[in-house]
Amino acid sequence: MDQDEQDRALPIANVSRIMKQILPPSAKISKEGKQVMQECVTEFISFVTGEASDKCHKENRKTVNGDDICWALSSLGFDNYAEAIGRYLHKYRQAEREKINHDKKYENPHINRAPPPPLLLSRVTRDKVENPPPSPPNQSG
Amino acid sequence: MRQAGAYSGLLCGGVSGRTGPHSLPLARIKKIMKNSGEDVKMISGEAPIIFSKACELFIEELTRRSWIMAIQGKRRTLHKEDLASAVIATDIFDFLITLVSSSESHAVGGATNVMEVETIDCS
Repeated sequence: MDQDEQDRALPIANVSRIMKQILPPSAKISKEGKQVMQECVTEFISFVTGEASDKCHKENRKTVNGDDICWALSSLGFDNYAEAIGRYLHKYRQAEREKINHDKKYENPHINRAPPPPLLLSRVTRDKVENPPPSPPNQSG
Repeated sequence: MRQAGAYSGLLCGGVSGRTGPHSLPLARIKKIMKNSGEDVKMISGEAPIIFSKACELFIEELTRRSWIMAIQGKRRTLHKEDLASAVIATDIFDFLITLVSSSESHAVGGATNVMEVETIDCS
């Protein structure tokens, strides 16, 4: 696989790591084994994308979205994947909504802030009388 | 203080810095999707994200089935022949038969044209 082909495949290091995680610790993977898996998973993406894209085309839509991928997986016999991916997609969308709400809340610090109390202006009486009577001024007159 | 969302693990941190929470690079997945056909015009942001999960499941399943082939051959190293055997034995991997067959033909010293494979029940 030349460099140009390498750029059109998933990185072999990432693919190898996932393979190792599923195998017992004593297992080894030949270099050719890793390369074949790399090619297989790249083909898997193209295969499923083609199916999803066909569906979009028939429905006169231009954007391939997550639901189309789930549908294509199920259509091609990967029912277990479609179920798992459906749950994953649901969680992702939930997380996105929470993120948006969270950002909105902190971008508007004035939301829910109580209005400042009105300034209390003390009255100044025009009558300056020494030792004013304790009764309120309304009662006078 | 910002509070982490219930699924914040999906959105930050993760396996490595370059791929975020996903074990496969999203930009590369998107590029492969684009190259899959001329009629793939636009791809939503969520599609490569869920594809990265689907690819993990795919790699895990094909690896597991290949390992069964290696074990049956009394080996501890997974070879490309094991992947080819697993592909041939599994219906949903039919779309890969041409690919693994052509990989075989590139092997040094040539390859056996006829491959005997036992059908195994992995359900």
